[in-house]
Amino acid sequence: MRFVIIGAGRVGLRTARVLAEEGHEVTLVERDATTADRAREEGFEVIEGDGSKEDILETAGIEDADALGALSGDLNVNFAACLMGKHHGCRTIMRIDEDYRENIYRKYAEEVDDIVYPERLGAIGAKNALLGGSIRAIADVAQHLQVVELTVTDESPMRGYSITELELPADARVLAFGKHDGPMRIPLPDDSLEIGDRVAVLADFEVLEDVRQILVGQTPIGGR
Amino acid sequence: MTMVTAYVMIKASTGEADRLLESIADIDGVVDAHIVAGDVDVIAKVEVDEPAAVKGIAADGVQNVRGVENTQTYIAMD
Repeated sequence: MRFVIIGAGRVGLRTARVLAEEGHEVTLVERDATTADRAREEGFEVIEGDGSKEDILETAGIEDADALGALSGDLNVNFAACLMGKHHGCRTIMRIDEDYRENIYRKYAEEVDDIVYPERLGAIGAKNALLGGSIRAIADVAQHLQVVELTVTDESPMRGYSITELELPADARVLAFGKHDGPMRIPLPDDSLEIGDRVAVLADFEVLEDVRQILVGQTPIGGR
Repeated sequence: MTMVTAYVMIKASTGEADRLLESIADIDGVVDAHIVAGDVDVIAKVEVDEPAAVKGIAADGVQNVRGVENTQTYIAMD
């Protein structure tokens, strides 16, 4: 696929790298000369200029891009770029700078297909690192709903039982299962929970601790 | 009597944009208000009889709405 990314800073450039690694075509738009040069040194095509200007976006190939990532630190630029990206039929992704704005853009900005708030992803990563190995947040689905990956330990009360025997509180659901040495996959009723196996669960924040105790064991988070 | 027109740029700290917009639009002297994209969240148009009243609306009216973080006021000169 073809992508245009506005902003070659810490978010835009990293996104461009990941896309390029997967074989996609990426053009970056960056208004700061030094930042643009740095991205060029990595082999990226960089258009130097203001991502809120139509001629710049056209030079970057907006007409035949599949999606536009407005990932600069400037909200006004990001929104203007999405506006034009939508006009040219792109899927549009906009980076925001403060989380309260997510609801506003989701509700009012029809020109923006999806919102990225990098700090939230950073916080999930930091939380995972702090919590250690046995529980890992995968995604915040909604304000009170989270997908977590839990690893069965030798203290797990459900160790040795099967997925069907697993009873989780408050409609928490098992979404995926992976043996300790295998990839995550659709859970089968007969899968048995052994040490090191991983279970991805969708659960309300309020019952997350109960889910953790059932699958991981009694060890308090962080240890004592 | 000459009217004074001013535009108040409002930065919020809440995602409840509807409530915010309604509370701001209800303030005496505010004649129009919109939720906008960009680094401010709402722009309100104020029309009053004298320049001093603009300050009152921005400082006491808008600033006191829950979820308003700060405001910047521009008085029209034309």
